[in-house]
Amino acid sequence: MRFIDWLDERLAIRKIIKITLIDYKVPKNINFLWSFGMLLVLMFAILFISGLFLLMYYKPDSKLAFDSVNKTIMMDVSFGWLFRHVHAVGASIVFLLLYIHIARGIFYGSYKAPREVVWLTGYILFILFSATAFTGYLLPWGQMSYWAAQTITTLFEKIPFIGPDLVIWIRGDYAVADSTLTRFFALHVVFLPVLIMIFMGLHLYAVRVVGSNNEDGKKIDKEKEGVPFWPVFMSKEFFVMTVFLTFFFYLVFFKFDFAMDKINFEPANPLQTPTHIYPEWYFLAYYEVLRGFFFSQNLGLIAFALSMVLIAFLPWLDKSPIVSGKYRPLFKVAFWVFVIDFLVLTILGKLPPTGIYAWIGLFASLVYFGFFISLPIIARIEKKKFRGTTDERN
Amino acid sequence: MKEIKILFIIAIIVLIGYWGIEPFAHHEMYGNIPEPDFKYSDLKYKLNIQGNPQEGESLFKQNCQSCHSLNAKNLKALMDKDTAQNAFNVVPPDLSNIAAIVDHHFLFNFLKNPQEATKNPKFAMPPMSQLSDKQIADIIAFLSSVAKKDISGAEVIKDGCTRCHSIKYKKITAFTKENYLKKYLGKVPPDLSLKGRSKDKEYLEAFINNPQSVLPGTSMPRLGLTEESTQKAIKYLEDIADPHKEERNKIGFWVIVYMLIGVVLTYAWKKKVWKSVK
Repeated sequence: MRFIDWLDERLAIRKIIKITLIDYKVPKNINFLWSFGMLLVLMFAILFISGLFLLMYYKPDSKLAFDSVNKTIMMDVSFGWLFRHVHAVGASIVFLLLYIHIARGIFYGSYKAPREVVWLTGYILFILFSATAFTGYLLPWGQMSYWAAQTITTLFEKIPFIGPDLVIWIRGDYAVADSTLTRFFALHVVFLPVLIMIFMGLHLYAVRVVGSNNEDGKKIDKEKEGVPFWPVFMSKEFFVMTVFLTFFFYLVFFKFDFAMDKINFEPANPLQTPTHIYPEWYFLAYYEVLRGFFFSQNLGLIAFALSMVLIAFLPWLDKSPIVSGKYRPLFKVAFWVFVIDFLVLTILGKLPPTGIYAWIGLFASLVYFGFFISLPIIARIEKKKFRGTTDERN
Repeated sequence: MKEIKILFIIAIIVLIGYWGIEPFAHHEMYGNIPEPDFKYSDLKYKLNIQGNPQEGESLFKQNCQSCHSLNAKNLKALMDKDTAQNAFNVVPPDLSNIAAIVDHHFLFNFLKNPQEATKNPKFAMPPMSQLSDKQIADIIAFLSSVAKKDISGAEVIKDGCTRCHSIKYKKITAFTKENYLKKYLGKVPPDLSLKGRSKDKEYLEAFINNPQSVLPGTSMPRLGLTEESTQKAIKYLEDIADPHKEERNKIGFWVIVYMLIGVVLTYAWKKKVWKSVK
């Protein structure tokens, strides 16, 4: 008896593969942007494994952390440097993948009914990844680790009533200190990854139930227009994965500086504030929205919170009957203005907020919110047109 | 074709973003780093006398050996390390290789007025006003005659930096004890283990060449290193801060080759599978 038959008798392995992978039909008319979901699963696995090996030598103690990373892991352990480079570059690149994945979802209207739960679980995953990145960035205990954590946690102070107490609760001390490091460590290595895995499961399950969206945003006849997930979709996925990994490993070995800030090779020093404090690149846009309203700190904070939350409400802001951005000229304009605006905000987030940059920052922040305001308006215009003509595509 | 277009658009956006947050932001934040001046042209005294090494030797014994040793000639300093530390808050350096590391024009000005040459008003060495220009030239000629010709980066660092700076990851502790350094410089100078990684090459070059030009108010003195010894010192700092660079580049190359083979194979499989899809 072959092993696979033996297993099949006990775990119904053939049936489960058939149901989950072969009978699962995905649309034919999807481009490689639909591969980014699986790329994110891959990236999470890479981060999980590299993180596990780093965990074997890392010391979550403010006196030991810096040396355990920069001496033990980077210099003494065989290939320790490789695991750290993979983890650091991976943490950065996972956000590039997330942003492309999200942008694809927005452009092709993948958040629309019946995919609201897909969108919401995806949004929660984005927040969880952000929290993981933020807590993880403190762990090397370098200058920027320390001061970025100090600056960002200070923001919570402004929350009415509970703010000051909340900040102390988060830090476990009056300033970022050893207690902050150990609790961020606990969140980073246990709590957040477990939550990510749970929500990843939910996200994939939700996609499986409602099916993938496609370029045209129309419902497909799965028997005629669908292809099996395995092996047809995955054969393309593997190709995209190898192309992506070539790029990824090029960064890991030859171009890692963007993910490992030079300043973070200076040990954390609570008595010496660096001249420039900035978050990692993937938070720069929100950080710029925070600074954009330079005349009022409170307004900036409200805008900052909104900038991270508004996107979750996309399915209810945009109720246009046309799904894919391909057939929505007005939406297309709004989308590209939003993409360019996000890019501008990201670049501005690292520049000193003075002179002309402050004003561009304010303008770009307003444009950011302009996108969300424009959505219901565009939807309304399209609804009127839609009633006039019968659109076969939908 | 359509997919290539999408990839192209993503690549453009990523490249603009990268340019914005790395080279451009870096330039905007840290500005232009001043060019190093290895001629030390701001120093006014000109050394244009040919010194005599024999006379320099006896002058060295009379004027320098009270504090400085010269291991190359087996000359011990008359004052021991602890006494010197108590008197000056810093251990005076051995001078065996000083003429190979430090620019001679700088050295000439340094001996006449150390505080001005180093741009550090609290520099411990007193001016040698008792010496004539000829005598100073003799001492420099003598020091040049004993100095090693081809000096390594590690030796530059040892003679130039480690009397105040520690290099923890190389198990090197500063010759001067921390409490004295605090008294002398106001704070314990930073460890150099990772400076080759935490600072740009251009910054290190400008900083070593003229600390005040990039970090006004720092207690680090200008040391007058020649261009060659500065480069060697920086190379050494970079090497110890990133010891796996060679290994990384080598493995990196093969990983990329491996991945490219993967690209070809997965593309072939994809073609094969999708042939049946119409």
